[in-house]
Amino acid sequence: MKRYLEYVWIILILLTIFAYVLGYTKYINDSLVALLLVTTFIKGELVVDYFMGLKDVALKYRMIPIIWLGVVILLIASSYYLQIS
Amino acid sequence: MSRSLTQKEKYPPGDFAIWIIIYVELITFALLFLGYAFSRRLDVELFNSSQLVVSQTSGFINTFILITSSYFVVKAVENMKSMTTQNYKASNYKASKWLLFAIMCGVAFLAIKITEFSHIFGLGINLSTNKFFMFYLLLTVFHFLHVLLGSGILLIIYKKTKAYGYTPDDYKGFETGASYWHMVDLLWIVLFPLVYIIR
Repeated sequence: MKRYLEYVWIILILLTIFAYVLGYTKYINDSLVALLLVTTFIKGELVVDYFMGLKDVALKYRMIPIIWLGVVILLIASSYYLQIS
Repeated sequence: MSRSLTQKEKYPPGDFAIWIIIYVELITFALLFLGYAFSRRLDVELFNSSQLVVSQTSGFINTFILITSSYFVVKAVENMKSMTTQNYKASNYKASKWLLFAIMCGVAFLAIKITEFSHIFGLGINLSTNKFFMFYLLLTVFHFLHVLLGSGILLIIYKKTKAYGYTPDDYKGFETGASYWHMVDLLWIVLFPLVYIIR
C-alpha cells in the first residue's frame, strides 16, 4: 500500500514546527510572514486533497475550499502588508 | 490511488448535506479571520502586546494533535473503503482502533484548551478586555465547540464500528463524520498562525 498519507502527515507536522519556531523565536519579518502564509496554504491544500479526499472528486467541489483558503490567506496578507506601507 | 487514475467521484465523500454545512462554516470562520486581521491592522501594537499573553506552545501542541487526529480518521476511512462483505467485521474493528486514537486526540485538544482558557480567564480577561481578546475568545471558543461536537460525532461512529455497523454498501455516515472532523482541522490550520504566530 502506498504510504502517501504518512508523507502528508510528516509534511504537515514539519510545516507546523516551522511556524512554531518562527513564533517562538519572535524572529518574524515581512518576508517570513509571506512564507508562513504560503506554508499555511500548502497545509490547508494537503488537508483538502488528501484528508478530506477531495482530489478524487469533481473539480467544483474541490475548488470551493481551495478558493476559500486562497482568498482568506490573500486577504490576511493584504491586511498585514497594508499596515506596513 | 487507482481511483484517481480512472474517474473522479461525482460528489464529495459522505452525505451531501454535511458539505453544505462545511461550506457555510468556512464562510463564517472566514469572516472572523478577516475581522481579526483587519482589526489588527488598525492597532498593531495592542494586538502584538496582547498576543504575548497567549501560549504559542499550547497552540503548537494543539495543531500537532489535530493534524494527527485527522490522519487517524483518514486511516479509519481507508479501512472502510477497502471493506468487502467477507472482511467487513475486521474492517470495522480496525477502523474503530484508528477512531479511538482520533477521539483521544480530540479529548487532549479540549483539555489543553480548557487549561489555556482557565489561564486567560484567571487573568481577568474577557470579551470586553480589548479587540485582540474579543477576537481571540470568539475564534477559539467557537472552534472549541466545533471540536467538542466533532469528538461527539467520532464517538458515535466509533460505537457503530464496535458493533460492526458499517457495511461495504453503507458507510456514508462514517465519511460524513470524518469530513466534519477534517473541516475542524482545516479551520485550526488557518487559525493557529493568524492568532498565535503572526505579529
